[in-house]
Amino acid sequence: MSADVSDLSLVRRVQRGDKGAFDALVLKYQHKLVKLVMRYVRNPAEAEDIAQEAFIKAYRALPQFRGDSAFYTWLYRIAINTAKNAVVSRDRSPIEYNIDRNDATEESYDMQGRMKDSETPEGLVLTDEIRTTVNAAIDALPEDLRTAIVLRELEGLSYEEIAAAMDCPVGTVRSRIFRAREAIDRRLREVFEGGLGRTEELG
Amino acid sequence: MNEELDSQLSAMFDNELPAAECELLARRLSRDEELKARWGRYAAIGATIRAEGGPRLNAELARRVSIAISAEPADADVAAAPVSRASAFRWRTPFAGAAVAASVAAAAILWVRFQSSPQETVLISQTDAATGTPARQVSGPGVSPPGDASYVVPRTTARRSIVPSTQLASYVVAHSEFSSPVNRRTLLSAFITSEAGPAGAPAGSDEPTDDASDDAKSPQ
Repeated sequence: MSADVSDLSLVRRVQRGDKGAFDALVLKYQHKLVKLVMRYVRNPAEAEDIAQEAFIKAYRALPQFRGDSAFYTWLYRIAINTAKNAVVSRDRSPIEYNIDRNDATEESYDMQGRMKDSETPEGLVLTDEIRTTVNAAIDALPEDLRTAIVLRELEGLSYEEIAAAMDCPVGTVRSRIFRAREAIDRRLREVFEGGLGRTEELG
Repeated sequence: MNEELDSQLSAMFDNELPAAECELLARRLSRDEELKARWGRYAAIGATIRAEGGPRLNAELARRVSIAISAEPADADVAAAPVSRASAFRWRTPFAGAAVAASVAAAAILWVRFQSSPQETVLISQTDAATGTPARQVSGPGVSPPGDASYVVPRTTARRSIVPSTQLASYVVAHSEFSSPVNRRTLLSAFITSEAGPAGAPAGSDEPTDDASDDAKSPQ
């Protein structure tokens, strides 16, 4: 199965004029993109501005995207260039310059320590609440669901790889990951009353 | 919410849904705000597990981007416009070339017909008949050499008819019987001068230009 099949189906819809499909791509990658940009700028608000600019650039360039590379790889390149340009234009020193393509998908960077210095108190409280809620929900999951969701989200394994690791069919992996997400999502909605993934104003 | 649909959404989020199902679900996802909100929460859950969450894990950034791109032209417009212009140009090109060629040919035909209009032809025929000289034997500046099957008598040749010259020649002969040699010579010089003027006029004055001559010699 193509590693980018769902992204590509959304991209094709955007290329046919469906802006709502681009919302889904933004929702999916906004966190990764902000994390990536935070390697270049210290201010989270500035990082969001740059991420926003990168998304808009990506939208404008999407007609030229042919799917030769994965969408997120293409998007990350745009974000990195946007961040570098922003740093140069504002004459600021980036936090790190030694970033290559592999860094785009590297998940090991600990951003939390850097962000705490500049986050607003409200943002910190919200982030901590979310983290606490999600972690509590994960801890409450049955072992097989917790292992499946962690292998997927933290380790980035495919369903097939998880199936091999857990010695179960791929369909079972898909079901376990789905049920884990549903359990966590239910807990989040109870706590935040729809504050997360708010999309009423989208589209 | 349909559990099967949610399961598909979760698999699609992980790029683990078959392409055919992705197409259908992507269409629904782009329009269904509730499904989109769930999709956004899946992303937030993953970001929290990976400790990559920003200061706001809601859809604030997504909302701002959505507002920004709402003012942008749809990608279909951006992508289709150059393609449609290019494709339109591609199929128009041969027709445009043919139209230009046809216009030039029509203009050439009309010009040639105008140059050899029926009135002119009748005049030339009448003139030639009056003098008994075949048209193709007429010679002079700006006239094609004999033997050209497509030859057309230039309009100015008709005006330079030799009929007055014949009358004058007869007059000179008759007059010479009653005039002195000096007067005869003067009258003859005047006659020759009057004949040489129009016949030796520059080609551009009232003669067809070289290009026009070529057009005139074109097949009818």
